[in-house]
Amino acid sequence: MQDHILIEMMGVQKWYGGYQALRNVDLTVRKGEKIVLCGPSGSGKSTLIRCINRLEAIQQGSIVVNGHRLDDSIKAIDVVRQDVGMVFQSFNLFPHMTVLQNCTLAPIRARRISKTEAEATARKYLERVRIGDQAEKYPAQLSGGQQQRVAIARALCMQPKVMLFDEPTSALDPEMVKEVLDTMIGLANDGMTMICVTHEMGFARQVADRVIFMAEGQIIEEGAPDAFFRNPQHARTRQFLGEILAHH
Amino acid sequence: MVPHFGLPEFGFLLRGLQWTVLLTLVAFAGGCTAGLAIALLRTCGHKRVEWITRIYIGIFQGTPLLLQLFVVYYGLALTGLKLDAFVAVAIGFTVNASAFLGEIWRGAIQAVPRGQTEAAMALGLHYSSRMRDIVMPQAIRISLPATIGYLVQLIKGTSLAAIVGFIELARAGQIVSNQTFQPLLVFGVVGAMYFVLCWPLSWWGSRMEARLALANQR
Repeated sequence: MQDHILIEMMGVQKWYGGYQALRNVDLTVRKGEKIVLCGPSGSGKSTLIRCINRLEAIQQGSIVVNGHRLDDSIKAIDVVRQDVGMVFQSFNLFPHMTVLQNCTLAPIRARRISKTEAEATARKYLERVRIGDQAEKYPAQLSGGQQQRVAIARALCMQPKVMLFDEPTSALDPEMVKEVLDTMIGLANDGMTMICVTHEMGFARQVADRVIFMAEGQIIEEGAPDAFFRNPQHARTRQFLGEILAHH
Repeated sequence: MVPHFGLPEFGFLLRGLQWTVLLTLVAFAGGCTAGLAIALLRTCGHKRVEWITRIYIGIFQGTPLLLQLFVVYYGLALTGLKLDAFVAVAIGFTVNASAFLGEIWRGAIQAVPRGQTEAAMALGLHYSSRMRDIVMPQAIRISLPATIGYLVQLIKGTSLAAIVGFIELARAGQIVSNQTFQPLLVFGVVGAMYFVLCWPLSWWGSRMEARLALANQR
């Protein structure tokens, strides 16, 4: 059997009014693959992953997630969102709910499982991101790194087939970046399919199966991390890598 | 012989106060219900629906409340619908309150960060759950000071109901004053009654505001 394809984007085009954010993007992601998306700001990498769970609509092309074609129907969007978890740059935890409630709301409402079961699952994932003892606290009582780990646990509680990370460490103080990256590495080692928009090239080297470089809404270059970092093909990629690696 | 301001007159004012409170409660409850619907429609994302609610809000915020009360009381009477004065002013105030509360809550809904809705969508939550579980609890907190402020305005504003012959606190005061020729004393008592009603609410409102400001600083 051929490797199971989880995400297939073909000829995806997206405009914001007159501005084209994605130009003819093709991307195939297989089960278990870890992909790191990088590129300068405004290159469309966040837009790309936000199209996968339909936070953004596309104007042309097709996106198929786990065999379900994403169109405008509420049903298709529903089915896809059940399979796709997302972690945001600014955490977006629900401030009026405890950590535990943050994690159980969607399973109870969208998956219609019992509160007891949802809480058991939530505690399991909170343990896994090493934050089990904070379950009764409110997000504002936690540090940024802890909040982002809660956000990861919250997404995992829906038992997604693929996880999208939209610059998960960009809003964190430097000393908290590692704890979040370690959590993501653990997730990757457990076989989760992941697409990460990030500038953490150390993480890319360690975890990624493929690194994809985007600029001006296009995929410019992609490859295994070794080859990608050692021998980038395009001048645009070399310039970008030069800029960000200079800081590390 | 002219009666002095005594217990019977005070009792009359108290009955007026009762009607003021009742009218406020009915208008506020009705206004909250209809205002919630207006606020949700106003933010639903369908351009045409948003436009219609915008016009609705515009009309009731842009014309005098007095005029609206006239239209309900006398206008509907012309069409053959003869309403009791209380029912007529209750309808007038409810509709007016729905426009103001609708606009206050529209602002509050839009003040909830976009990321909250996005996170809820990414988790597969539907519109009803997104609103009920995520957006409205936060929007209500944000809107609480303004909502309480509006309630205080509403209590004082119910005195306009006197214009169509409804005897609430202000009108009762006028009647007693005309009977006793003791306007200073009578309106002093009336004013004190409004104050006792409004001041705790105002105090509560500004305390909420201070607390919200503090929470936002964190």
